[in-house]
Amino acid sequence: MSLYILEGLKPWVIQRVSAVYISLFLLYSLVCGMTVDVVSFDHWRNWLFHPFNSIAFGLFVVAVLFHAWIGMRDVILDYVHNIMLRMSVLALIVGVLVGCGLWVIRILLFSMVGQ
Amino acid sequence: MRRDKRPVYLNLFKIRLPIAGVVSLAHRASGILMFLAMPFIVYLLDLSVQSHEGFEQVLFILQHPFLVAVQVLFVWALAHHLFAGIRFLLIDADIAIEKIPANRSAWLVMFLAGSVVVIVVLGTLL
Repeated sequence: MSLYILEGLKPWVIQRVSAVYISLFLLYSLVCGMTVDVVSFDHWRNWLFHPFNSIAFGLFVVAVLFHAWIGMRDVILDYVHNIMLRMSVLALIVGVLVGCGLWVIRILLFSMVGQ
Repeated sequence: MRRDKRPVYLNLFKIRLPIAGVVSLAHRASGILMFLAMPFIVYLLDLSVQSHEGFEQVLFILQHPFLVAVQVLFVWALAHHLFAGIRFLLIDADIAIEKIPANRSAWLVMFLAGSVVVIVVLGTLL
């Protein structure tokens, strides 16, 4: 019975591939941040909404969401044994992650044209 | 859950966890912490790109003493999660799997994560 959305080797691979992408994006962001003298609103917006950066950031968010899902799922499967409580907590986690994902899509789409 | 009536002695304070266990536990704890911070970070992201006022507001919010403490904790969580994650990837690749190198790499993770916190805190103060 496929209760856990992802089973077998797949989550193991996704966890590692997403981890590598997250690390590379954070490194790239760190380098970008270190080469700036003053952090200003305009600079921050221009950076985030630059075509390359917004796509790289979008992928970063997707990677984080998958990574967080697999990580949190593993923790819950280890410590929460009551099946009803387990399913409830897993559903809550999915809700938080999907909510965050939709929110970021909204930010990237609407804030970009808003200003 | 348990089928027999044998007593179980599980005093968490009497268990001497090896350093690799501490790294693993902290890897989980830091992951959970960052998950919990996620909605708040997205909120700040939203606020920061909306307007000049929103951007200034984010900088102001982050100056709150409680949130400064949370940020220090978050920097540690991110650094520890990253370094411990790299360590696990190396272990997957059969690097440093013997007892002594595994212990050393675990201590190195703790040291590097602590160093990042010190560097970031000093870098912000100076």
